[in-house]
Amino acid sequence: MIRVESLTKSYGDQLAVDRLSFAVERGEVVGFLGPNGAGKSTTMKMLTGFLHPDRGEVEIAGVRVDPEDPETKRSVGYLPETTALYPRMRVADYLGFVARLRRADLVQPRQAIEKVIEECGLGGWEQKRIGHLSKGYRQRVGLAQALLADPPVLILDEPTSGLDPAEIHRMRMRIRELGRSKTVLLSTHVLSEIQEVCRRVIILANGRLVADGTPLSLGEAERPALQVTLSGGEGIEAALGGLAEVRTVRPRGRDDRGRVGFTLEVEDRYDAALAVVELAARQGWSLFELKHELPSLERIFLRHTESQAAARDGESE
Amino acid sequence: MRATLAILRRELGGYLDSAVFWVALFLFVSLLHAVFFFIGIPVGEVRLPSFWAGRVASMDSAFAWLPLFYSLLAPALTMGSWASERRSGTDEILLTQPLRTRDAVLGKFLAAWVLLVFLTAVAVGPLAWVVSQLGPLDWGTVWGGLFGATMLAAVCVSVGLLTSSLVREDLVAFLLASVVLIGLWSLGFLVRLLPAPLAEAAWYASPALHFLESGARGVFDARDVVYHGLFLFAALILNTLLVGARRWRS
Repeated sequence: MIRVESLTKSYGDQLAVDRLSFAVERGEVVGFLGPNGAGKSTTMKMLTGFLHPDRGEVEIAGVRVDPEDPETKRSVGYLPETTALYPRMRVADYLGFVARLRRADLVQPRQAIEKVIEECGLGGWEQKRIGHLSKGYRQRVGLAQALLADPPVLILDEPTSGLDPAEIHRMRMRIRELGRSKTVLLSTHVLSEIQEVCRRVIILANGRLVADGTPLSLGEAERPALQVTLSGGEGIEAALGGLAEVRTVRPRGRDDRGRVGFTLEVEDRYDAALAVVELAARQGWSLFELKHELPSLERIFLRHTESQAAARDGESE
Repeated sequence: MRATLAILRRELGGYLDSAVFWVALFLFVSLLHAVFFFIGIPVGEVRLPSFWAGRVASMDSAFAWLPLFYSLLAPALTMGSWASERRSGTDEILLTQPLRTRDAVLGKFLAAWVLLVFLTAVAVGPLAWVVSQLGPLDWGTVWGGLFGATMLAAVCVSVGLLTSSLVREDLVAFLLASVVLIGLWSLGFLVRLLPAPLAEAAWYASPALHFLESGARGVFDARDVVYHGLFLFAALILNTLLVGARRWRS
């Protein structure tokens, strides 16, 4: 549904997007992840036909996107990062304006407007000026305009940024619901959002694609870890470190009853778990907790983006 | 075309909803009446007495003031057209809709032009009626003047839009367009002083001078239509290119 081929864009000397290629299939909800300045928004601006790429191309629904060709922009609904809407316009007037711009895709514009007002929870707010709305409601209006013509592809640039927790929850539920019928590309800083909403994640750093897969498959590339909590005197850390199955031991602190916690980086989590249990039995320690630590998206994210930053620093030296 | 009309309609709604428009309407109508009845044209090549002093049933002095008024009114209407879209980021949703840059340029142009012509009609109409009650007004010259004013309004609006697409601040766009338009108008004072080739160049550069030579006197000149048409076309094309070019850079 979305195909990006060697997309490149620079602002002056600054390379924002560097030979980026990826594809998103129909019905996928894909999270677009990356630190600030990674090129997420720039990529989205090119996907939606706001910016021309320097090189490369974008194809959406089988049509090459051209900012000057209206036909090529019809399949996309877009919520930009800034959600900049005309502050003096009333909600209903604004949606009416977008409906007139999208007239070719709307059989019954009035019904379409009523439908998105209902879907986005804007009932009763139609006559309010957009500038008088809270950030959460402005975001709803932004989403409503993106959904108005019922496009098959939605591109949402940080749709939950600046919202309160209840509003974030509602927006996530809405996006998950939309993912049932649409192809969604969603950028965010919030990693839990990806885990909650997306089945696939694409990580960008310095304008390049550094990882692409399900959160689970990306996690498998990580070294496994165990969390253990024990009590039984001194020398626990050294003894754990002495196990052949354990690579590193990281203390997590001691509680008021003298229990100490460690995170162990291991080769094989099952072998290591067995070794820890046997060691504890031999030493007479009390074992309170032993669990596999799933690699968090934070770790995956940091590993990919930090290695990229290190590579870039290396290049520039 | 549909997109152009949608944008025209939105922009018109925006104008009618803004204080700038109503202040401009009030100031323009009252100041044009004041200068017509009490001041006339006190400077320049062709000086005209005020209506009460001259007691001639003619609208010439009102039309002669229009270029200067337009030099402030057109920039006031167009200053935010692109500058505020760009500053606030609203152009991002606008230009990712299924439309071409030129549709948006044309929609914004038409909205400001329609309003400026409307303002002119509201200001000149009552004047013409009063004059016609007091003396034998030649309505042909009034219609000729209004036609010329319509063309001049289009050109002034296109200059205002152009400067608005160059900057991010409304006020800067306003000042820039006003300086350009007043500069073009004031070339009229220099034409006499310049050597012949330069004077000719100045005349070609200035839409206001074309208007003052023919339209303002109620004369219809087909060459003026071509001149204003070309000027307008060039300004709108340049505007489209400038807005389009930002989508390569920004």
